[in-house]
Amino acid sequence: MALSLVLFGSHAAFAATPVIKIKIQDHLFFPEIIEIPAYTKVKLLINNLDPTAEEFESYELNREKIISGNRKAIIFIGPLPPGEYPFFGEFYPKTAQGKVVVVEQ
Amino acid sequence: MSSIRVFLIASILATLTLFNFVAALQGYNSSLQEAEKLFDSQLFDTAKLISNLHVDKTTSSLNHLNDLAFQIWHESQLLGASTNAQGEIITELFPGYGYANFNGYRWRTFVYFDPGRNNWIIAAERTDIRFALAETVIIKAVLPIVLSIPLIGLLIWLIISRGLKPLRDLSSQLKNKQINDLSPIEIPAIKKELEQVIHSINTLISRLGSAWDREKRFTADAAHELRTPISALKIQLHNLKEDLTTDNEAFVQLQSGVDRMQHLVEQLLSLYRSTPSEFSSHFTPVDLYQLAQDVIAEQHQNFEKKGQTLELEGSTNIVEGDLFSLQTLLQNLLSNANKYTPNGGIIQVSVERLDAQVCLKVEDSGIGIDPNDYSKVYDRFQRLHNKSMITEISGCGLGLTIVNHIVELHHATISISPSGFDSGTAFAILFNNVDRPNEK
Amino acid sequence: MFLNSVILILQEILEAALLVSVLLVLSKHHGIKPIWLLPAIIIGVTGALIFAINMAQISEWFDYVGQEVMNAFMQLAILFFLSFLTALHPKNRWVSIFMLITTSLALTREGSEIFIYIGGVIGQAPYIQSTHIQPTLTGAGIGAGIGVSVGVLIYYGLLGLSSRYIVASSVLLLALVGGNMASQATLLLTQADWLPYSQILWNSSALLPENSIFGHLLYALVGYEATPSLFQVISYVCGILLVYLCWCFNLSRIDHQAKYKSPDINVHINI
Repeated sequence: MALSLVLFGSHAAFAATPVIKIKIQDHLFFPEIIEIPAYTKVKLLINNLDPTAEEFESYELNREKIISGNRKAIIFIGPLPPGEYPFFGEFYPKTAQGKVVVVEQ
Repeated sequence: MSSIRVFLIASILATLTLFNFVAALQGYNSSLQEAEKLFDSQLFDTAKLISNLHVDKTTSSLNHLNDLAFQIWHESQLLGASTNAQGEIITELFPGYGYANFNGYRWRTFVYFDPGRNNWIIAAERTDIRFALAETVIIKAVLPIVLSIPLIGLLIWLIISRGLKPLRDLSSQLKNKQINDLSPIEIPAIKKELEQVIHSINTLISRLGSAWDREKRFTADAAHELRTPISALKIQLHNLKEDLTTDNEAFVQLQSGVDRMQHLVEQLLSLYRSTPSEFSSHFTPVDLYQLAQDVIAEQHQNFEKKGQTLELEGSTNIVEGDLFSLQTLLQNLLSNANKYTPNGGIIQVSVERLDAQVCLKVEDSGIGIDPNDYSKVYDRFQRLHNKSMITEISGCGLGLTIVNHIVELHHATISISPSGFDSGTAFAILFNNVDRPNEK
Repeated sequence: MFLNSVILILQEILEAALLVSVLLVLSKHHGIKPIWLLPAIIIGVTGALIFAINMAQISEWFDYVGQEVMNAFMQLAILFFLSFLTALHPKNRWVSIFMLITTSLALTREGSEIFIYIGGVIGQAPYIQSTHIQPTLTGAGIGAGIGVSVGVLIYYGLLGLSSRYIVASSVLLLALVGGNMASQATLLLTQADWLPYSQILWNSSALLPENSIFGHLLYALVGYEATPSLFQVISYVCGILLVYLCWCFNLSRIDHQAKYKSPDINVHINI
């Protein structure tokens, strides 16, 4: 299973990559909880509505990306096994908190 | 080159900063945890308090910052709420602490179930505000640690500079020491760590001084003692020449050998004749141009023999100096040029005024000296050219040592460079103690 | 705001400080004058400013993954210049030029994030409570202080080693920097979907969480990841091997050229 993902992960899933939209407003993520299917690559489309930059960061997802103020950004995550993967805004971590919940379908 | 002072300051300051700042971080973390606990227990109290109050939907906000909110639910019916939480439910109804995004803010929530009235009470506090409150207090404690670092750095710098002062004194004493000043080093209030160093240096200096004296005395005495037998030899040679009727190869060789020996002894004697202080007391005005003319006239036949062109340029320039030793200096430079320049070469002597100095320059189109060897030419008995040259050219390797000695006695400077010709060497001597004609 | 300011700035400063101190040690050991440092700092800081100001545009390149691609590109460039300079004879004049390029690139990359963060906090001062600014700047001071201090101690620590081990240890650290660069670049390219997904090899977050202080330090120094993917581990090893092999190549050449001339160059690595 893992090997096949390694081999054709990128291209086989490309056509059907689901897109999840997240917005950042007042240093908060909306929605704060995102549900995605297990073992599927997902494209996060993050729209920062604040005038300030934010850095999307997750140790569990191994993702880190700066999203400039009033800009959009794309982050690919997965394929992931079921579980909870918290993420936060590194620049405003006290408020910008959220998590990705991967569910078996 | 690395500096002890920079090393000490940088590494001590780095260590201090590292541990201080990590300690400050640790302090910040534990203070913040304590503050969170305190806020949480307050939230708990607030929830308990609200459960015992009679409230309705119109209850006004709980405090002026508007950072507290509450809701009372009874079987999915909102019984009462603060003005900032009139709408949807703040968080899910699980008893205990939690976080929730609500009303455009993130809240710390506490959910309390009142079994008596069968009511759910949600008390919530804005995380950004309570965090900012806690942080403002804690930062007041951390900030002095950061601000003190520049001060600590300054103090460390002062202390270390003070501590290294004896070492600096010692090195400046050594630096300012004249090359032939063999008096012991004196440092007031010697530090324990330097005691041995200074003692060793002074012992070394005094041993060097006596060795130097011994060497000088020995060479001068030996040279002096050798003069008499050499003179006797010369007389015997003269007599022998009278007796010999035909030209004898062995005799010619013998005569040139004795001449060389005499020359060597004379050079040695002039090298050790005087020390700088007693020497400069009998300086007289010497016209270098006139002197150069005299020496050239005296040595002219040597140059003619090799078909070399000898040019003299410049004009009258008078310096304070010792006539005899300046003569020796020029003789040595010219005889070197003569020896190391092939037949038909050019030798150029110039005496020129350069601002406050007079430059005496001897240039030749000879075989030259490798620039890497420039520093070695003044060493005694140093002959830099390859073996085959040495056998052809007579000399004892003392000439330039004597030149250098005379230059030092006149507080002048000497420099070597490639000559202006295709090959060869230029020796330039700059005299400082110049007689100014216009001041007379 | 204090703690994440510390972590953010510490991480960036530490990565740069490690690289700069090791390069300075190598410069000093080989008698190369560190004239590359000042121009590198000027170029790096200017580059970081330009990168930070244009981050919004850059992020939108390549269908919104410009940021990842540019960062990965710079990291790979650092890895290659590091390898080049280890492969060169220490007396080669390109060594200082490569040191200059490597340091400038590293400072551009690390500095831009600091500028974006600090600039954001200061720039929004009219909108938010000014209570954020003091903690942020205090945190930045503490982060920078710890980072620079570690750099200074690494510098003197390496110089304090006996001369046989100075070069070997410096190259070992450079190799770790190289591995770190390769692994981070791989991660960024995976995030941009330029590289395919590969499985997570292990999870050591229970043993040493990435968000602990020690985890952050190790991440900045040796590229520690609690949940690395297969490709990351492979590229990490490749990065280390690349620097190490370049050095071995250099060593064999020097050994060959001047076996009797400079006995102190006969250093052997002890891993």
